[in-house]
Amino acid sequence: MNEQEFFDLALKVIAQRASEAERAELDTLIARQPELKAEFERLQADTRLAREVLPLVNATEATAPELPGWARGQLQTKVRGTFGRQPAPERATESETLGALWKWRWVLGLAAATAVVTLVVLPVFTRSAPPVIQVAMLDTTGATRGSETNAWSLLRQSWEKATIDSFTDPAALHAWETNWPAPDKSPVVKVVFDPATGEVRLLGRWKGESFGKTLLVEQDLAATLEQARSFIKEKTSR
Amino acid sequence: MLPDLHALQQGDADVWDEAFRWLWPVVLAVAQLKLQLYFPDEAEDVAIETLEEMVPKVRDVKTVEELRPLAASIAHHRALSLLRERFAKKRAAGKIESPEPVQAETGADYPDPAADSPLAAVEQKELAEGLSRTLSELKPPQGAILTDFFFKGLSYEEIAQKHGVAKNSVGVYLKRGLETLRRIWGRRGES
Repeated sequence: MNEQEFFDLALKVIAQRASEAERAELDTLIARQPELKAEFERLQADTRLAREVLPLVNATEATAPELPGWARGQLQTKVRGTFGRQPAPERATESETLGALWKWRWVLGLAAATAVVTLVVLPVFTRSAPPVIQVAMLDTTGATRGSETNAWSLLRQSWEKATIDSFTDPAALHAWETNWPAPDKSPVVKVVFDPATGEVRLLGRWKGESFGKTLLVEQDLAATLEQARSFIKEKTSR
Repeated sequence: MLPDLHALQQGDADVWDEAFRWLWPVVLAVAQLKLQLYFPDEAEDVAIETLEEMVPKVRDVKTVEELRPLAASIAHHRALSLLRERFAKKRAAGKIESPEPVQAETGADYPDPAADSPLAAVEQKELAEGLSRTLSELKPPQGAILTDFFFKGLSYEEIAQKHGVAKNSVGVYLKRGLETLRRIWGRRGES
């Protein structure tokens, strides 16, 4: 019996999913090779640790429910008590204010004229450029598995013109997700498919605002991608 | 979107609102995890107190990614403290109110329900660092496979089908996952 086979058998016994015959087999093995007893005990300890740590790790990634409204005031009181109030802007004297008002009349007049030109003339000539869609998927085992090849095809069908990047390292994917072009460049929407968590994440920068949404792949990926397309269209058609 | 750490450290109320909304699910989940069996009604209060404790601690944080593990760690310690305090009071009073699963099963004299935890003695900072490392080093789908095996009771076959991996690789994922946990947390599971 090799190391992995011993692990599988021992784990089955520890998880109380072994048959009588399997338990007897493990007992015989340990009796024949006493060094395996220490290995079995270490595995018991590892299991105990996993049972304690994993729920905590999963809780650390929780995204629901929402903060109750009543808690906000209490928490903001703590923020003010810790950091103090944000300083109010300095007040100008009355004469400074009057002088500034006259200057502002000119500025406001010009701004109004510019606004008329912008609202009436510019829409005739220009339309907002569509956002650049960037797509990525996490593929920790390489692009050889059937389901993920299928996922790649679905992503390609949904965004024909987009580049689709595949990442095997979650850290590299995270870097990709957080790398945005300069604000003056074309607006960008990032679509991330993470098969491990069953999520499609949408992140976008559109007209100076950021937006984000996470969709769970509940039934099939194609339906979720259709939802994603609708969401992006809704956000970028304003 | 992650909250802006610099703005949090300056006390920006709007960014703190954002951070509280982002951290709330974490602190509530951890508090419920520890308290649901004995004092489920206390979980929300522990979660709020945790967020309050987070406010001054943000000054010592270097990256915004540290905030969630730190929040989980604080919630964990607060929940354990509450359990210990309440059980000590019950022991002193000589009675324990329902639910009393430990008493019913063992007949012990109101034992500390937190005492069995391999993480009970881990300091807050160390726990936060351990959680951070676990989140980054437990590579997908190791974490999900460990959870499916230990908590959802799925068999190797079911796990293989669910994650689209070969049946004989499920044990390998479990073995590597457990080894990763041992490397991060040391031998805390040993009693």
